[in-house]
Amino acid sequence: MRLEKCWFCSSTVYPGHGIQFVRNDAKIFRFCRSKCHKNFKMKRNPRKVKWTKAYRRVHGKDMTQDSTFEFERKRNRPERYDRNLAENVLKAIPKIDKIRVSREEQHHRNRMKGKRQKQHREAARELKQSISLVKAPSVFQQDQSLTLPKIVVSVSQQQSENRMEE
Amino acid sequence: MAATVASRCSRLGRSLFGGLRNSFPGLLTTSHELTCSNFLSQQQQRTFIQMRTVLKVVDNSGAKKVMCIQALKGKKGARLGDTIIASVKEAHPNGKVKKGKVVYGVVVRAAMQKGRCDGSEVKFDDNAVVLVDKQGQPIGTRVFGPVPHELRQKKHVKILTLAGHIA
Repeated sequence: MRLEKCWFCSSTVYPGHGIQFVRNDAKIFRFCRSKCHKNFKMKRNPRKVKWTKAYRRVHGKDMTQDSTFEFERKRNRPERYDRNLAENVLKAIPKIDKIRVSREEQHHRNRMKGKRQKQHREAARELKQSISLVKAPSVFQQDQSLTLPKIVVSVSQQQSENRMEE
Repeated sequence: MAATVASRCSRLGRSLFGGLRNSFPGLLTTSHELTCSNFLSQQQQRTFIQMRTVLKVVDNSGAKKVMCIQALKGKKGARLGDTIIASVKEAHPNGKVKKGKVVYGVVVRAAMQKGRCDGSEVKFDDNAVVLVDKQGQPIGTRVFGPVPHELRQKKHVKILTLAGHIA
């Protein structure tokens, strides 16, 4: 039994699931569920819809190139049954799966590396720019310790020149 | 059909905004085009092949379009793989089948989805038919476009062998 991939979201279409649409030039579009079929009928591009595999691949969210993907391949010739081969394959499947999952986690960790520092920077900026929502400006004039230290920026005659132009 | 809808829309617009049209014609026409395209983008609900359904003929029998006049099976109408009786509405000038003749045909493509033996569904772009005689032998010698493999269960193996693509 062949497990096909959904045209829209690239998930596996198991036997008895979904719908397939045959265009007049004999191209077959398989869909895993009505959600994907409806999106196709709305002429949406799977590369632009965020929840599809195609979007995640294009935007670098998921691991795309890896040797663990080489094992799953579509063959147009039926493989001749070999008992030893089948046994070895069944043994190898969980092992390969484990390696793939760990590599995907590694990829995700690499992708999320600078997130903590980014959050810190954003929080600091938020504090600096909108502290006036929490405390009135008059409070800061009374107590200097509440504000962040002021940065001295040298501004020369540029301002006056601009005013002249206006 | 699109052209008729568009013309109807524009006529309606003219009657409603007749006075305003002179002042800013460009703006009005653009808004109308938008509403028309939105209306057309929703696909129509596909139904059975029933009396007066016009189908494309996808073989070289000489007929171009036939109109269904009787479905031989089913209460509501014919579906993918069923046989119908049809009348030839358009035909090539020197083909085997002439305009106005009553013919039998097998529905090889249907826009309405049909369940497959494993529970999934299949649907096609259009409604198409291959003309056969009363015994079920095809009249033409070629079949164009994809046909479903369900025809094998319906004992139309001849059509399957003539077809280029089997879906």
